[in-house]
Amino acid sequence: MKARMQNSSSSALLKQEFLKKWINGLQTYTNTKKEMTILDRKNAIKLSADIAIASTRNFSTNWSRAVMADVSKNVDGSSKIVTEKILGRKETCIIKCSKNIMRKSRLLAHRKRAIRRTIGRTSVKAASAIAKELVKKRTRVLKRLVPGGKQMNEICLIKETLDYIASLQVQVDVMRNIANAADQCLDSTERSLL
Amino acid sequence: MSGRRSRQSTSSTSSRITDDQIIDLVSKLHQLLPEIRSTRRSNKINIEQASANKVLQETCNYIRNLHKEVDDLSDRLSQLLSSIDADSPEAAIIRSLI
Repeated sequence: MKARMQNSSSSALLKQEFLKKWINGLQTYTNTKKEMTILDRKNAIKLSADIAIASTRNFSTNWSRAVMADVSKNVDGSSKIVTEKILGRKETCIIKCSKNIMRKSRLLAHRKRAIRRTIGRTSVKAASAIAKELVKKRTRVLKRLVPGGKQMNEICLIKETLDYIASLQVQVDVMRNIANAADQCLDSTERSLL
Repeated sequence: MSGRRSRQSTSSTSSRITDDQIIDLVSKLHQLLPEIRSTRRSNKINIEQASANKVLQETCNYIRNLHKEVDDLSDRLSQLLSSIDADSPEAAIIRSLI
């Protein structure tokens, strides 16, 4: 019971932190909002949300670092501004440096995989072997779903998946609450106009 | 010959570590996911791998669902939040939630 209570209070703190950072990111668009299309707005909302949820981990996890590396790949200057707003200038520079680190680790992983392939495979069609193949196949899919997963070994992947799922749940919960609140606000203003 | 033997031993130890971790993951994911139905098979080796396979499948589906939800919610919010401004009634509601 205690563990669960601690979990709920820590997840509430996490939600608050995500919400603050997300709104911070959204505020960078206040000047440009009039020229934005609905698609622009959606991408802005999603970008801010992704940066915000990644930063709640203080970049101690691989997936959050991978998210930031992907974001900084974006040539569009707006992503840099949003990142600076949410993280501050110092952290944004650190992330730019870590891009090189991620590139190097990616090259290393490529080389390791190439060596493993040349060793060769033996095909044994037993039930356990088929089951192992299925597990391998699903692991490959999971690696694609978790950001930065391709460079992780299986143990790391499992740990990162747990953290990633928990963070995604926080993100979805907060966004859903805001959407429902905005819905209600819209309903009430419509009713007051009648 | 000795090279092949050492290679086999390293692969078996790494799969043993992964199985333990996967069992650990099953218990943790029980809290996060909807109920995972356990299939009972007579072959003991297959139980761990069957549950591992099921867990991985559920996990992948769940992550895909969460991604889709974020996308849908971003769509919905882009239509609702017409003003991402500091002085709007929506912002006041959001501030009250913080």
